[in-house]
Amino acid sequence: MIVWNSACRSARLSTRPLTVRRCLSQRTLDRLTDPVQSYISTSRDPYLNLSIEHFLLQQSAPESVVLLLYVNRPSIIIGRNQNPWLEVNLALLDPSSHDQSYSEPPGLGAVDLVRRRSGGGTVFHDEGNVNWTVICPSKDFTRDQHAEMVVRALRDCGIDRARVNVRHDIVLDQGQHSLTIGSDDTHSTPYQTPEADARKPLKVSGSAYKLTRQRALHHGTCLLSSPNLNIIPHYLHSPAKPYMTARGVESVSSPVGNILLSNERFIASVQKQFGKLYRSIGDAQEVGDEWQEHDSVRKGCDELKSPEWTYLQTPQFSISNQSDTLTDVDLELSVRNGVISSGFCGTRKSGYSGAARTGLPAGLDGRRLHDISSWDDELGGSLPSVSHDRVTRLCKWLHMMLPPPIGRPNTHFR
Amino acid sequence: MSLSRLAPRRALQVYASATAQPHNARPLFHRKLHASPRLDVVRPFLLADIGEGITECQLIQWFVQPGARVEQFDKLCEVQSDKASVEITSPFDGVIKKLHYGPDDMAVTGKPLVDIDIQGEVGEEGGVEESVEDVVRAEGGGELDAAELDAAATTTQERGRQHGSRQSKEVMGSLATPAVRHLTKEMNVNISDVQGTGRDGRVLKEDVHRHVSQQTQQTVPQQQQRTGLPATREDKKAPLTPVQTQMFKAMTRSLSIPHFLYTCAADMGAITSLRKKLNVRAEPKLTHLPFIIKAVSLALRHHPLLNSSLDTKDPKKPELTYRGAHHFGVAMDTPSGLLVPVIHNVQDLSITEVAARLLQLSEKARNNKLAPSDFSSATFTISNIGSVGGGVVAPIITEPQVGILGIGRSRMVPAFDENGQLVKKEELVLSWSADHRVVDGAECARCAERVRGLLEEPGSMIMGMR
Repeated sequence: MIVWNSACRSARLSTRPLTVRRCLSQRTLDRLTDPVQSYISTSRDPYLNLSIEHFLLQQSAPESVVLLLYVNRPSIIIGRNQNPWLEVNLALLDPSSHDQSYSEPPGLGAVDLVRRRSGGGTVFHDEGNVNWTVICPSKDFTRDQHAEMVVRALRDCGIDRARVNVRHDIVLDQGQHSLTIGSDDTHSTPYQTPEADARKPLKVSGSAYKLTRQRALHHGTCLLSSPNLNIIPHYLHSPAKPYMTARGVESVSSPVGNILLSNERFIASVQKQFGKLYRSIGDAQEVGDEWQEHDSVRKGCDELKSPEWTYLQTPQFSISNQSDTLTDVDLELSVRNGVISSGFCGTRKSGYSGAARTGLPAGLDGRRLHDISSWDDELGGSLPSVSHDRVTRLCKWLHMMLPPPIGRPNTHFR
Repeated sequence: MSLSRLAPRRALQVYASATAQPHNARPLFHRKLHASPRLDVVRPFLLADIGEGITECQLIQWFVQPGARVEQFDKLCEVQSDKASVEITSPFDGVIKKLHYGPDDMAVTGKPLVDIDIQGEVGEEGGVEESVEDVVRAEGGGELDAAELDAAATTTQERGRQHGSRQSKEVMGSLATPAVRHLTKEMNVNISDVQGTGRDGRVLKEDVHRHVSQQTQQTVPQQQQRTGLPATREDKKAPLTPVQTQMFKAMTRSLSIPHFLYTCAADMGAITSLRKKLNVRAEPKLTHLPFIIKAVSLALRHHPLLNSSLDTKDPKKPELTYRGAHHFGVAMDTPSGLLVPVIHNVQDLSITEVAARLLQLSEKARNNKLAPSDFSSATFTISNIGSVGGGVVAPIITEPQVGILGIGRSRMVPAFDENGQLVKKEELVLSWSADHRVVDGAECARCAERVRGLLEEPGSMIMGMR
């Protein structure tokens, strides 16, 4: 299988394999029972990579330990229980929907939005970022052990500023080399400085976990050489944030930096440290597009791509424009499970008396937020007492805060 | 309370949490099936400490609703705490009574998450299929070979382990519901002593009661001899094991073959001394079986009729096919019963190679690692019961073969040498069965005598070797 992959790598994009595999080979399925398994993905598709990861979580033998490494094309991955409208600048995802007011379009092309199955915050993936996943039995699991393994891998490549911080992230200390002799402790480096005003360590890797009864999955990113560091903040800053109150886990932003290491070196080093930790010398098995053929992987992929999973898994939130000075028609929407559940509309001029407030404009109640493609269409006729320009201003505000997600995941990269 | 709950239930001390509060105790004359007090106990399941000093986490989604029946280890809900999304599973069997939080609410560690009504025997009999059973049903669709069934049983065991649900005997000591376990404590019985007759060997209430009554019976007739399992004079119905099922089918087919038996005794002295000499350096040690196998192969070259296949699908037109290759099935006694893996192309193998193949196959058989290809295309079978014992045996032919050789145990017998002196001889009885529809007695006898000649004079085997 590995020989086939390397021979056909260049041709893969344009031709389908001659034999259509219905399911994974028996050898692949047998490997799921090996006590130590190491995989590396050749696919850049974030939906497929996350589905393969989930498949390995569910199907690998309960006592086994699994390593998976993958790289995704530019995409934003939000946590299981996060709010895409709060975390992401959804308008930027589809380049064709850019407002003319943006003077500097990021130029990244279409960026996928993916909700993963593990918890935690929002991250930006691209080709300069390598993702690592370790799946191990629940009873052996601690939050730090695999982050420490990755730090050892980095230090092996000469990155001695790397360490695990209290939040189980990997950071690069920015201080001067102190005179203390370096130790093997993965939680401290000679570059740490105790003063509070010293240069903050740069975060290079974030972690997230998924714990089931028998298996624990720990995955993390690793910023090696992303060319997009300066544009990422645009994507991860949502204009709606000041206007929203939401439940759910919010991302904790940290200053990030590149490690400046090649993907290949990092991957080899992590595989080596994994082998050392679990006393195994096996080779990594390649996984890739052929896994799409497998039923449960494909189903997982389809679920991740579905708008229902991406948007309807959002915990309850409400958005209100009361603090915005440019619009003078008050609007508040409560959204539960991605569906508009309640809200009100009222004009400020008449104060906050109940009489001037009307309920939700008809047609909005019970609507799935991600189905709304044009706020003008929704609100245009439902506020007859309000002048046309005020309604237009309101719609424009709504369009900025809750842009229609035209960049649906499954319309790209067929 | 709903009328569906007719089975009795017991109060349990599963969680060291709030004080036990039996509520809704029923008066005894209501739906009485057993003369035991019935208590409905609803157990609050507390949100356990997830670690990392986390005091609360957000509930993402419920997988159950009030009224749903759950079994131990079923998924209840998914919660999220900063970076971790955690699946929470049910600690015991029961029926969901109340969810303490809605989706998106913050659940507090140490406080009740969900209330579960613990059920007794109703949970263990009804409803939910075991996932392992499902897999077996899916795999064993039609007629399977004994081996395939065996191999399938092994894979299903492995898959069941992989699926991670219902880990049965590996994870838990004895399978039993909490109600049954409580009963064993009440009756002062060790649950591992009780033979379970429920699904997967689960221990049921009846089993515990039966065990207790047996204990009282056994103290009386102590001089009576125990036979194997806990002394019970009851008949025990048991389903056929997969190997037995396969044997049943094959041997029922063999009933149509008219067997005749021809036995002869071979003097194994020469082979034994040859073996002794070779085994000084040979590793692993050679037994007489590889020699016999090779001798039969050499003889069958002169008597190809015994290596043929008889096709009687059309009773009016039986077809006899002389097989070119010698594929010998070698009957083996394994932990799961009788298996007959095949050594292919014996005519091309040397005796050492035959011995190595035998060892390989018996290893695989012992570890349940035989593949369907190991059982295919046998043309002749050799059944060595000599490892256990036996003199004359009457082995049964497996169709479509027409012959089989049974080997007993070699023993020392007194005999006369050429001078009329009494000497010790190592005698091994070879019992040949053949299908009298195509093989006549003389042909079989000639083949048997040829094999005997080869064994008594191993030098002649070398003459015949290719």
